[in-house]
Amino acid sequence: MEHGKSGPSSWPEMADVVPVPQDDGPSPVVPIAYRDDFREVMDYFRALYCAGERSPRALRLTNEAIELNPANYTVWHFRRLILEALDSDLQEEINFIEKIAECNPKNYQIWHHKRWLAEKLGPGVANREHEFTMKILALDAKNYHAWSHRQWVLQALGGWESELQYCNQLLEEDIFNNSAWNQRYLVITRSPLLGGLMAMRDSEVDFTIEAILANPRNESPWKYLKGLYRGENNLLVADERISDVCLKVLNKDWSCVFALGLLLDLLRLGLQPSDELKAALESTRHCDPEMAGDDFATTVCCILQKYDPLRINYWSWYKSTLSS
Amino acid sequence: MGKRDFARPHHVAFFDAMATELPDEYATQEVNHLTLGYFAVGGLSLLRELDRVNRDEITRWVLSFQVHPEAHDTEDNKGLFYGFCGSRSTQFPLPNVKDPCHNVSHLASTYSALAILKNVGYDLANIDSKTLLSSMKKLQQPDGSFMPTHIGAETDLRFMYCAAAICSMLDDWTGMDKLKAKEYILNCQSYDGGFGMVPGSESHGGGTFCAVAALYLMGFVQVDLASNLRDSSSIDIRMLLDWCLQRQVTGGGFQGRRNKPSDTCYAFWVGGVLKIIGAYHLIDHCALREFLLTCQSPYGGFTKFPDGRIPDIYHSYYGLAALSLLEEEGLEPLCVELGILSAAL
Repeated sequence: MEHGKSGPSSWPEMADVVPVPQDDGPSPVVPIAYRDDFREVMDYFRALYCAGERSPRALRLTNEAIELNPANYTVWHFRRLILEALDSDLQEEINFIEKIAECNPKNYQIWHHKRWLAEKLGPGVANREHEFTMKILALDAKNYHAWSHRQWVLQALGGWESELQYCNQLLEEDIFNNSAWNQRYLVITRSPLLGGLMAMRDSEVDFTIEAILANPRNESPWKYLKGLYRGENNLLVADERISDVCLKVLNKDWSCVFALGLLLDLLRLGLQPSDELKAALESTRHCDPEMAGDDFATTVCCILQKYDPLRINYWSWYKSTLSS
Repeated sequence: MGKRDFARPHHVAFFDAMATELPDEYATQEVNHLTLGYFAVGGLSLLRELDRVNRDEITRWVLSFQVHPEAHDTEDNKGLFYGFCGSRSTQFPLPNVKDPCHNVSHLASTYSALAILKNVGYDLANIDSKTLLSSMKKLQQPDGSFMPTHIGAETDLRFMYCAAAICSMLDDWTGMDKLKAKEYILNCQSYDGGFGMVPGSESHGGGTFCAVAALYLMGFVQVDLASNLRDSSSIDIRMLLDWCLQRQVTGGGFQGRRNKPSDTCYAFWVGGVLKIIGAYHLIDHCALREFLLTCQSPYGGFTKFPDGRIPDIYHSYYGLAALSLLEEEGLEPLCVELGILSAAL
C-alpha cells in the first residue's frame, strides 16, 4: 500500500461510479485542511456506501479509505458488511488486519475489527491472537489495547496454559512493568487452571516479596502484595511476612516510602508491632524528640512527611485521620 | 531559574489558529471533528476569548450533526441511536442512502456536541432530548456498560462517562440504568484502587476519571473527602485516593499509569478525580504548575511531554484545563465533572 498511487478516479472498475462530495454544511467550524487524495477516496466511499454496494471493488475501496483514515468506524462497518455478504475468507482478513494493526497499534477501530474476526472464528484462533499480541507487546510492553485484547481472548477463547509463564518472562525483562503485574493479577484470580486467589495467595506473597527485596523502590510489587489481600484486611495484618518485609527494607533504608506506606496502612488496620519493629520505630523517635508522645502510626506519618515531600499534604491529612 | 510564566497570549494565538483551520495532520482524527471543535471552543472559553468565534455559527454547525428520526425509519431500526454524528464523513445525505443504518451517531460526539453548546450558552431545552435519551438507553449492555454506536464497537468506561454526562447536561436520567452502570464501574476498580477501562484492565488515569466522574454525576460520590470515606457502599475511596496521589511523580507532573512517564493530560484526568472526591488540596500544586509550564510550547499550546515537540490540540486543551483547576490567573473556572465552564452550567 504505497502512497503516490493513483486514486479511485483513475481505476477502470470505478468508471461508472459518480463520487459524492462531502457536504460540509452550514459555516464549517474548525475546518480541516484535507488533502486531495483523502477527499477523493472519501467521495468514492460515500457513493458506494449510499448505494449499499457489497462487492469486491467496494472491499478494495475500503482498503484505500482505511489506509488514509483507519479511525473511520463507518468504513470499518461497511467493510464488515461486505465481508459477510461476500462470505469472504476471514483467515485472509486476519492477515490484513494484523498488518494494519502493526502500523497503527493504538487505534481502537482496528483492535475492535480484530476482536470481531476472532469472535467469528472461535477458539481455534486463540493461539494466533496470543502470538500477535505478544508481538505487539514485544515492541511496546505496555500497549493498553494489546493488553485489553489479550485479556479478552483469554476469557472468551482460552489459552491460559502459559500465561503465568509469560508474565514471569515480562517481569524478568522489566520488573517495573506495571501492565505485567496487572496481568499476573488477572491470571492468578481468573485462570481456570490455577484454583483462584485463595489457592495462589501463599506462593504469590513469596514471589512478590522477592521482587520487593530486589527493587524496594518499585511501587508495583508493593501494591500487588496489598492487592493479594484485597477485601481481607484481617488476613493482611495477620500475615507476618507482610510486616516483616517492611521492616527488612526499612532496616536498610528508612527513606523507602513504599515500605513506610504499607507499614502505615498495617498499623492503621490494627497491626500490633513485633518487638523488633517496636524497637526500630522507637529508635527513629529518639532522633526526633517531638515524636516522643506519638503512637507508631503517627510516627510513620512524620517520617513520610520528611521523605516523601511531594505528598506532604497527604501524609499530614493521613496523620489527622489517625486520631479519629 | 525563576518561576515560569503562563504565556497567555501565545495560547490565545494557538487556539485562534486551530479554530480557524486545523492542519491536514488532523485529517486522521476527522471522525471526531466535533471533539476537535470541543477542544478549540473549550480552549478559547477557558482563555475568556470566545468572542473570537461566532457562537451562532458554531451552534448551527453542531446542531447540523444531530440525527433525527426519519419517516422511513422502521421497527428494524429500533436499535438506532438518535444522537450526534462526529463528522460529515459519518453522515450521509438522504435520499441517496439505501442502507437503513446510514447515519451512525456516536456517544462521544454527542457528549462533545452538548458540551460545545453549553459552552457557547445555548439552551439545551431546545434539543429534542426525548428521542436521544430513549435511544441511548438501548446502547446500554446487559453488564451495564455502554456501546457508543448501534453498529457495534468496543464498550469501555469512556462511553459510560459520555452517557452520564449526557444525562446530566440534559437533566434527564431516563437515558440509562444508573444501578447497572454503577455495578459495571465498580467491577472496573482494580486491586490497587484505580480503575481500568474494562474489568481486569490496568488502572489508568483516563479510566479512573471516567469512572469517578460518572459515579459523581449519578449521585454515588460526595463532594468532600470525609463524607466519601464514611460511605463504604460504593468504591474503595481510600485506595483510590492513594492511587491518585501516587501518580504525581518527581518533576511534579502526573503519570497515567504506575511506572510510566508523566504526561500533561493526566494533570486533568487524575487531578480531576482528586477535585471530584474533595482531595485536590492534597497534591503539590507548585510542582504541578512547574511541570505543566515545562510542557508549554513556545508556539502556544501544550505538548504531551516536556520535550519541545509540536503542540497538539488535545494536550493543549487539557493543559489549560489543568491550569484552570490550579486556579491560574486569567483562566475561567471549570466544572471538572462535565468538562465545561462552571459559568456554562
